[in-house]
Amino acid sequence: MGPGLAGYIIRRLLWAIPVLFLISITVFAMLRLAPGSPIDAILGQRYTEEQAAVLRDKYGYDDPLPVQYVKYIGNLAQGDLGVSTRHRDFTASEIIWPKIWISTQLGLIALVIVFGLGIPVGVYAAMARGTFIDPLTIAFWLAIEAIPTFVLVTLTSWFFALKLGVIDLGYEGVWTPNMIVPVLVMSLPGVAGVARFMRASVIGVLGEDYIRTARAKGLKEQTIVLTHITRNALLPMITVIGLSLPGITTGSLFVEVGFGIPGIANESLQAVLAPDYDVILALVLFGATLFVLANVAIDILYGFIDPRVRVGVGRGQ
Amino acid sequence: MASETTVPVLLPEPELAPPRRFRTLRDLLRKKIALLAIAYLAIFYACGLLAPFIAPYGLNDQQLTVETRLQPPSADHLLGTDRLGRDMLTRVLYSARTTVVFTIVIVISGGLFLGLGLGLLAGYRGGWVDTAIMRTGEVLSGMPTLILMLAITASFRGRINSWSFWLEDHTFLGDDSKTLVKFTIISLATVPFAWLGSSRIVRSQVLAIREQAYVTAAESLGATTPRILIRHVLPGVMPLFLVGLSSGMAGIAGAEVALSYLGLGIDEPAASFGNLIGDVNGTRFFEQYPYLLVAGAGPVILFLFSWNLLGDALVDVFDRRQNSHR
Repeated sequence: MGPGLAGYIIRRLLWAIPVLFLISITVFAMLRLAPGSPIDAILGQRYTEEQAAVLRDKYGYDDPLPVQYVKYIGNLAQGDLGVSTRHRDFTASEIIWPKIWISTQLGLIALVIVFGLGIPVGVYAAMARGTFIDPLTIAFWLAIEAIPTFVLVTLTSWFFALKLGVIDLGYEGVWTPNMIVPVLVMSLPGVAGVARFMRASVIGVLGEDYIRTARAKGLKEQTIVLTHITRNALLPMITVIGLSLPGITTGSLFVEVGFGIPGIANESLQAVLAPDYDVILALVLFGATLFVLANVAIDILYGFIDPRVRVGVGRGQ
Repeated sequence: MASETTVPVLLPEPELAPPRRFRTLRDLLRKKIALLAIAYLAIFYACGLLAPFIAPYGLNDQQLTVETRLQPPSADHLLGTDRLGRDMLTRVLYSARTTVVFTIVIVISGGLFLGLGLGLLAGYRGGWVDTAIMRTGEVLSGMPTLILMLAITASFRGRINSWSFWLEDHTFLGDDSKTLVKFTIISLATVPFAWLGSSRIVRSQVLAIREQAYVTAAESLGATTPRILIRHVLPGVMPLFLVGLSSGMAGIAGAEVALSYLGLGIDEPAASFGNLIGDVNGTRFFEQYPYLLVAGAGPVILFLFSWNLLGDALVDVFDRRQNSHR
């Protein structure tokens, strides 16, 4: 790791700070200025002015917005995400972290399936280019991508639970057979995107000179596809994998609602509808932080894999 | 690009453009799958725009008897009837109208106005304008989209009544006011995220084209900035912009369907695929009346599928073009 890369990483990390501040200010202002108030959310329809005053004082809702924001950031720095107005006696942290963990485990399994299927499908389609197999394969996965998740939930749960009767669908924990169908519904629509990207990447590699060389020296087709083509075509895939990592923590809304999984996407919807101000804010900030970190991580990874980045050529910075 | 270097610099650009554009079309028409997709999209858009004229029944004509509710497809009702005995075909046509209008509105506002406009501005002006636009884009793309779309729609929903009552009293809209307000809200929730990809594509294209000899020539001849952008830069930007746009169309249309399904978008008395599918979805309901889910969800799935196919075909045509230039 040369000095160029270290400087680049530091610059990227420093750049992340104003971005996160901007996001937090925007969402904070949006939530505080929206109609309704946290007091309504806590006390419900009927309450006396004294009750409201006590709460406003306790949570500092009477302060000017900038003061509220500075206080919020100060608490945030100490790991305090605020209180949940929907679940009375819980803090926002107590609500979100366990649910994020549930969604993340499911998301990770789904991610492995998406890339585990998408990469071979993409290579297969690219190698079959010029025949009808290529467009047909891609079209098949694009068709699955086009089915809205809430329809896919209905179709799969009808097929597996009612028609075949092989699987129960209630949530009993992440690592149970009941989660097989939900994970499939989460992953199958994503295969098309990965396969298309991989296909284009492979086709790009096919035109390279070293493939012709490999063919010319009489290597077995299998060796060429696996070691020469696929390995090189996988390099740009790092960005796709990296950028999809933050997404696994947010959960799939329609899958969690449809299969009754107590994950974070389910909670997000309820938090937005309630509204549960501090929980929404915490979720947005969490998502944005992960996104920014993933971007920085991708740049670092490229530095390790592609030496040209390390010495500062190849990518225009 | 290679062919352009042999052409005299002062030859007007429009004379060069037609053959290139037609080549894209030719390449695209050679793909049978893309042709089928275009044909379906044309039918869908025509049906959507003409919905009030070709619908066999009124949108909310109910027939609440056992014989007329939840009927399978028949000669009277080609796609069957729903819970309230309303004709499914009619509801599908009106839902298509919502989808069609929504995609057109978002393409014009988020795609053409913001995506193309800001991309051109950022790429051609450069400097702080570029920085401001691109950083805003990065901030927006860093936010969890779905939560924010939900938050935006949910926070506006409290005001639907007051806004639509005002519109009813002060404009000619009457009963359509509420739908218009709901439509505006989901558009406001979608637009901030609809321009991010296309503006990035446009900007990088502009950066490349700006250095071309014919642009420098036009500048030195004293052409105004708008003229340079429209006559010289735009023709080169359009192909890739359209590719990006068509790849994003399924996502835009899908956002409206998802929001409406959650009850945060278009709902009764107007029609939307999200709302329509919400009526006939559910495992037990599907087991009893599978034809209703097929009738309600099928047309929109084919619509999203067609945009996926068209986008994929366009990307493929352009990839091949670039590979052959190397």
